[in-house]
Amino acid sequence: MIDVQNLTKQYAGRTAVNDISFQVEPGEIVGFLGPNGAGKSTTMRILSGYMPATSGRATVAGFDVFHQSIQVRQSVGYMPEMAPLYTEMKVKEYLRFRAELKGLSGHAMRRRVGEVMELTGVADMRRRLIGNLSKGYRQRVALADALVHKPALLILDEPTNGLDPVQIRQVRDLLRGLKSKHTVLLSTHILHEVEQTCDRVVMIHQGRLRANDTPENLTRQLRSTTLLHLEIDGSGNLAEKFAALPGVRKTTEEKALAAPWRRFTLRVEPGHDLRDAILDLALKQKWRVREMHRQLPNLEDVFVELSMNAGTPTDIPTHVL
Amino acid sequence: MRIFWILLKKELHAFFVSPVAYVVLALVMILNGFAFRAALSVLESAPSEGSIVSWTFHAMWFWLSYFFIFPLLTMRLFAEEKKMGTLETLFTAPVRAWQVVGSKYLASVIVYGVLWLPSLFNFKFAQWITAGQVEVPAGAMQGAYLILMVMGMFNLAVGCFASSLTANQIVAAIISFTLSLLHFLMGIFVMVVGRKLSDTIVDIVNYFAATEHIRIFTAGLIDSRALVYYLSMSLLFLTFTHHVVEFRRWRP
Repeated sequence: MIDVQNLTKQYAGRTAVNDISFQVEPGEIVGFLGPNGAGKSTTMRILSGYMPATSGRATVAGFDVFHQSIQVRQSVGYMPEMAPLYTEMKVKEYLRFRAELKGLSGHAMRRRVGEVMELTGVADMRRRLIGNLSKGYRQRVALADALVHKPALLILDEPTNGLDPVQIRQVRDLLRGLKSKHTVLLSTHILHEVEQTCDRVVMIHQGRLRANDTPENLTRQLRSTTLLHLEIDGSGNLAEKFAALPGVRKTTEEKALAAPWRRFTLRVEPGHDLRDAILDLALKQKWRVREMHRQLPNLEDVFVELSMNAGTPTDIPTHVL
Repeated sequence: MRIFWILLKKELHAFFVSPVAYVVLALVMILNGFAFRAALSVLESAPSEGSIVSWTFHAMWFWLSYFFIFPLLTMRLFAEEKKMGTLETLFTAPVRAWQVVGSKYLASVIVYGVLWLPSLFNFKFAQWITAGQVEVPAGAMQGAYLILMVMGMFNLAVGCFASSLTANQIVAAIISFTLSLLHFLMGIFVMVVGRKLSDTIVDIVNYFAATEHIRIFTAGLIDSRALVYYLSMSLLFLTFTHHVVEFRRWRP
């Protein structure tokens, strides 16, 4: 569906996107991640035919984004960042205008506009001026616009930006529902969303491709440590005993609990699972344990690690970072 | 072509739901009223060669409205879309640059045409109320409104171009106002210092001068040179506009 080959985009004196290549297969939902200014929006604008690349090539649905721009724009539903809309138009009026621009007409157009308004939950706002809508509703009008011509590919630049938690969940369900009919490339900062929604993650930083894999694989390969949270009733220097266990990098005791309970957080090297060892220790020492919880690294850790490491030598000792 | 009509409809809608069109319309009607009154008092005070039509379009009031119309009608066209970011939404739909430029321009031309409709009424009304004593020559009327239209088309194309250059409506308005004013001042310049210049220079400048065109056309003379001049210049500025808008797509 998307084929990006050695794509580079330079603005005056600045390289926004630097030689990236990736593919998206039909039917996939791909999360496009990176810190602010990483080049996500630039890449999405190139893919939607809005601006040309400096070098490299990209095809969408088999059409070249530069030479067959009109065909590309017909097969892409693009939702720009910040959802710019004509504020002087009413919701239904705007969506009908957009649907007509994208080639729908007559009864089919009116029916489809009704459908997408229901789908994105803006039907109640159909007679309101877009200028008077809240950010969340504007965002959803822009999403309805992207969907209106049933494009094969949806390119969504931060679709959940500015939405409240309930709306975010609605958009997530909507995207999952679209999976059978559309391919989706979306950028977001809400990594939790990506873990739940996306089949694959493409991560870029400073214009370069840093990762391209499933969320599970990315977290598995991560070098960062796991955390073990414990709540224990025991006396003496527990921290010392924990430190003696293999793979423990750091032990901290949190002071917030009422006696006799004590709360510890252990930072454990990757590849070690200390839960059995700690239970054995507790039995032997006659401690009572009321909570033990292992926190695996998530996509957020992957994101932070990949963003932080970029541009610094890889052999810097981990404790420095 | 279908896309063009859809865009044109949207542009016209934007004009008439925003207060801009009505404010300009009110302004033009007031200034036209003054211009018409000035023409009537000229005819009243002394016998004159010129008709009511030519005196109306020579009044200072007419020129005052003339300069304000174009920046006000065109400054929004591209600058607002750039500022709001809607140009990105627009150009990621399957539309071509010429469709966008053409529809915006044609919408402004249509609104401009509407602005002058009430002034027709002034002449009819004067004729009716004086039972035909005020003579309104048909040739002068046709000439006047024809030159008004093509001059407008030229200035609107200039305004379109100015708007495409910037994301700031004020800057767009100032650019288009300045260009229209320079165009007008050429004629005034010749009028003021004409005697000191050679005839060739006067002829050349007069070929471009808006004041000269108004004088000829409101006398009922249709000069095809002026028509060709304005229409070709309109086309030139629209081509510039198209290139500025399309430049985004070609910038390396």
